[in-house]
Amino acid sequence: MNADGVENPFCTRRIRPGAMPFLFSGDASAETLVARLRANNWRGQIVGPHGSGKSALLAALIPAVERAGQQVLSLELHDGQRALPHDFWRGPQLASCTLLIVDGYEQLGRWACFRLRRFCRRPRLCRAGFQPDQDELETRPTGLLVTAHAPVGLPELCRTAADLDLACRLVSQLQRDHQMLVTAQDVVERFPRHGGNLRELLFDLYDLYERRQRAN
Amino acid sequence: MSEPAVTIRFDGNGRTYRPGETLAGEYRFESLPAAEVKAVEVSVLWFTEGKGDEDMAVHAFWRLNAEDGTTLDPSQPQHFNTVLPNSPLSYEGLIVKLRWCVRVRAFLHRNKELFGQKTFRLGDVPAVKALP
Repeated sequence: MNADGVENPFCTRRIRPGAMPFLFSGDASAETLVARLRANNWRGQIVGPHGSGKSALLAALIPAVERAGQQVLSLELHDGQRALPHDFWRGPQLASCTLLIVDGYEQLGRWACFRLRRFCRRPRLCRAGFQPDQDELETRPTGLLVTAHAPVGLPELCRTAADLDLACRLVSQLQRDHQMLVTAQDVVERFPRHGGNLRELLFDLYDLYERRQRAN
Repeated sequence: MSEPAVTIRFDGNGRTYRPGETLAGEYRFESLPAAEVKAVEVSVLWFTEGKGDEDMAVHAFWRLNAEDGTTLDPSQPQHFNTVLPNSPLSYEGLIVKLRWCVRVRAFLHRNKELFGQKTFRLGDVPAVKALP
């Protein structure tokens, strides 16, 4: 990868949501979750603690949701962001979207949540059915899919939680095309230190990989 | 038939350049029929890589469009050259690295893309060593 050595497989570019396939558990898949979301009139919440894969799951769902004919508008909220961006309500994307996705919904203040939900409940003119080539129009509410650390009163789509097995699979997958400098034993030792926060674990493993790579 | 691929080569096989020096080279496509190619983009750019937010900037950029009447023959080597800037210099830190590269993207029919990249060093900043 680089002019000096090799890329660190735990760098941001490789671990950010959407950079690699989401590892679903059991029989779940993007399609089954989208079917559940549709059954709930495109309303749902993904609940889980910090670093448990909520944003990664959203990144995996968005293409499937779009294949199901939804026009997605996605918002990512950061720590302390109590209000929606100033231009949000006037943006042309909002007018055409049929599913609003808010990553980090619990950041919003009460007024912003109320306003957002009122907007989504209000029937608007949009394409009927779920096929992208369908031209027929209907009025229906805008869908709302959010991630949060605790339930926010929407139908539950999924709960995310990291466990040791998932962490080991993830680490193995990340190093698939790289030198295996981080072992399963490393993951076993370090996973408990991060309280189930996969993001923090992967940052930690970045440092470990870097040290071992330079020592080689 | 083998998979389509991009090959990028620097003149003189150079991989370390001084600020203000000219970076020159060529790229070519293998196993890619001319009729497949809609456009080709070539960029000389830097990007950061590491634990934090990523950054990047394009230093030089060329786009060849078949729709503009430009003849795109993927089997023929295409040359590029640019004078490299004074900064930022390549950097091999522990938590952040700065890399320079030449990136070639071919936009194909049916929304397909072919991508190739070759890194080089700008400047001679030594790699950071981890403390024991």
